[in-house]
Amino acid sequence: MDPIPAALVSPSGAAARAGRWLHSHPASSQASGGQASGTATIARRAPETLHPALWLGHQLGRSGSHAVASGFAALDAELPGGGWPRRVLSELLLPHAGVGEIRLLAPALVAAQRAGRLVMMFDPPAALSATALARLDLDLEELLVVNTRSRVVPGSDSLWALEQALKSGHVGAVVAWLPPRLRAERLRRLQLAAHNHDGVAFVLREAAAAGRPTASPLRLALQAGGVDRLQLRILKRRGPPLETPLQLALPAVLSNAARRRSQGPGEAALALPAATFVDFA
Amino acid sequence: MLWIALHLPFLSLESFAATLVDGAGGVDADPQIALVDEHRISAANAAAQAQGVKPGLKRATALALAPRITLGQADPARDAEALLPVAHAALAFTPQVSLQPANEPGAASHTVLLEVQASLRYFGGLDALVRRLQQALAPLGHTLRIAVATTAQGAAVLARVEPPPRCLDLAATRAALAHAPVWLLGPGREHWEALQGMGLRCIGDLLGLPRAGLARRFGEPLLAEIDSAFGRRPDPRMPIVAARLFESRIELFARADSSEQVLQGAALLLARLVLWLAAQHSFVRRFRLLMHHETRWQQGDRTPQATALEIALAEPSRDSDHLLVLLRERLARLQLPAPTLELALQAEDIVKRAAPNSELFPTRQSEDEGLTRLIERLQARLGASQVQRLEAVDDHRPERASRLRQAEAGARPARPAQRGARRAAPRAAGEANLLAASPRPVWIEPVCMPLAERRSRPLLEGRPLSLLSGPERIEAGWWDAGLAERDYFIAEAADGALVWIYRARLPLSAEARESGWFLHGRFG
Repeated sequence: MDPIPAALVSPSGAAARAGRWLHSHPASSQASGGQASGTATIARRAPETLHPALWLGHQLGRSGSHAVASGFAALDAELPGGGWPRRVLSELLLPHAGVGEIRLLAPALVAAQRAGRLVMMFDPPAALSATALARLDLDLEELLVVNTRSRVVPGSDSLWALEQALKSGHVGAVVAWLPPRLRAERLRRLQLAAHNHDGVAFVLREAAAAGRPTASPLRLALQAGGVDRLQLRILKRRGPPLETPLQLALPAVLSNAARRRSQGPGEAALALPAATFVDFA
Repeated sequence: MLWIALHLPFLSLESFAATLVDGAGGVDADPQIALVDEHRISAANAAAQAQGVKPGLKRATALALAPRITLGQADPARDAEALLPVAHAALAFTPQVSLQPANEPGAASHTVLLEVQASLRYFGGLDALVRRLQQALAPLGHTLRIAVATTAQGAAVLARVEPPPRCLDLAATRAALAHAPVWLLGPGREHWEALQGMGLRCIGDLLGLPRAGLARRFGEPLLAEIDSAFGRRPDPRMPIVAARLFESRIELFARADSSEQVLQGAALLLARLVLWLAAQHSFVRRFRLLMHHETRWQQGDRTPQATALEIALAEPSRDSDHLLVLLRERLARLQLPAPTLELALQAEDIVKRAAPNSELFPTRQSEDEGLTRLIERLQARLGASQVQRLEAVDDHRPERASRLRQAEAGARPARPAQRGARRAAPRAAGEANLLAASPRPVWIEPVCMPLAERRSRPLLEGRPLSLLSGPERIEAGWWDAGLAERDYFIAEAADGALVWIYRARLPLSAEARESGWFLHGRFG
């Protein structure tokens, strides 16, 4: 039996919803507070101080369990709780693999490995390069890659393995590439399973999923924003919507000289004749 | 001395009912079952008795009374096989376990005796011990009558009294025995009518009679049994010893066509295995499920007689839930060539070790154990080769520089102590050099995608790529079939993402198709 996540039954989930409601009807909080007079009472007993799961609509939610720092200060400042949330799914939408998603996630994964826990990747879209991962400080010994779609098991779904891993609660961090056009209730199921998972869990989906609802409380859209830069829009979070996309500087792939050249004006790229090679480095 | 007697009044019925699997034999929620011995009903369950079927009826009469009844053949060997796990469960509590011989010759014993005086303190008293005994026996699904007495014979007799009493000293035992019906004694059964005629109903009635007369009329064994029950005569019992190798079999009443039906039968065998392991204080590392198939009398039929399913565990275990999950996943993947008639479970590879400490809070050890189980479960379902570990290979060709290797489920818990040390150690010099070399993309395309070209510039998805850095020449593999002569560039795609492309060296490249630009990786 699935344990019913506490957020569904405990008052904290209800309080979280009530937090928004309080914001739009400030008079009601006054009424529930015992008919005190004036706005001073409301200020003294600000609703968000009552419970960690309460927040006002214009504030950033504080996540109940400690968040994991993303390694990017600009991103941490915009994420509720100051980092990647634990025990929930964080949904990342990518137009295609290779926009810098691994460099974005690597600090959180490395943090999980440093704590002596295992990182599991489910159905990566292409072959992983051990050298590149090692350069991002990931420990290959503490990384497992699971392929669930290589063979169709009758009567089972490809998300079974992911759900088991989340439910077991023994995995430090999970990165999963979900099949396209996943139904919302399947994601909801994963979200429930993630409640047992004491760590970060990232699900990577296609960009077209942005139009469909999601059960995960955090949804980001990633896009390449130039060389070694990542443009990141926060589509959903516990807090006010973020209007402007974030620009994150990723760990550099290119040498400094090459990057300067790419940012320089004019035609940076060369029209190379077929057999002419110039060392730019 | 304090003896616990475990009496299983419906052992024969229950051991037969276990051979019925859903969809094969009993389809009802409450099947009517009766056992037949020499054309007469020897036992019937409650549902059958409600239809009027009772022991002693002829087979045809029973079928007329209850047309839907399932009739099975009484089988003392099957009963004995079913009683053995009960004795194994008892062995986990005390080494002094023996089987009470059956009253009728040729019948199987229905009673297990445990001497528990020495175990009381460890298990926290008699009540706690009996509770744990019942919990241990719960998976077998037998109806139990538990009596406690200070003599072995007394406990065995009292276990068949309704309700079974618990007598903690000799006086209470004797008092309880005096009120027990006389036919509960072995020899009392054959002389039951004579005793009845003489008005001797309770064992207490016999006590007042002269011993010589009793011995002459009913034989010495009756007196001997009374004396040992009342503690007046030594009653040595031979303790049973669990077999060194586990083997248990179950013959299915009807053939099992689906793996779900096989699993139902195997679940019982697994429960027996777990009890045997508990008796040995050991854990299983490998076990085998043998499925004997129906023989087909056809010419040229190549159906094997039996299918063996071998299950090896990364971490020795005796958790029946975990073992059952593994068995279920493996069975689901197995194609059975023919219906199964008989199941056998064998275990030879066992490990003796102390029971794991149970912890209140999750620790490193419990997490490693949980991980091992998770990986085992994933491997059982997806196939062992689908759970992989990535490792670096010393090769310049990017497609060969990484290798996925099947992960061993148990590899991680074996080295928890080294983990910190290895991380602290500085990287080897060679590794450092490799890392200082040129950048490598995270994603390596499994198949290099040829890129279109316009005015000598490569195109990705119809838009030109701008080269940012390169070339990096990789020329390797002349010693094996995979010769690679390429110049790699880092390029920026139209949307700003970085890709890794190469140009095969012309005209030196041996293969004609290896010309032009290729996409080989993406910087994730």
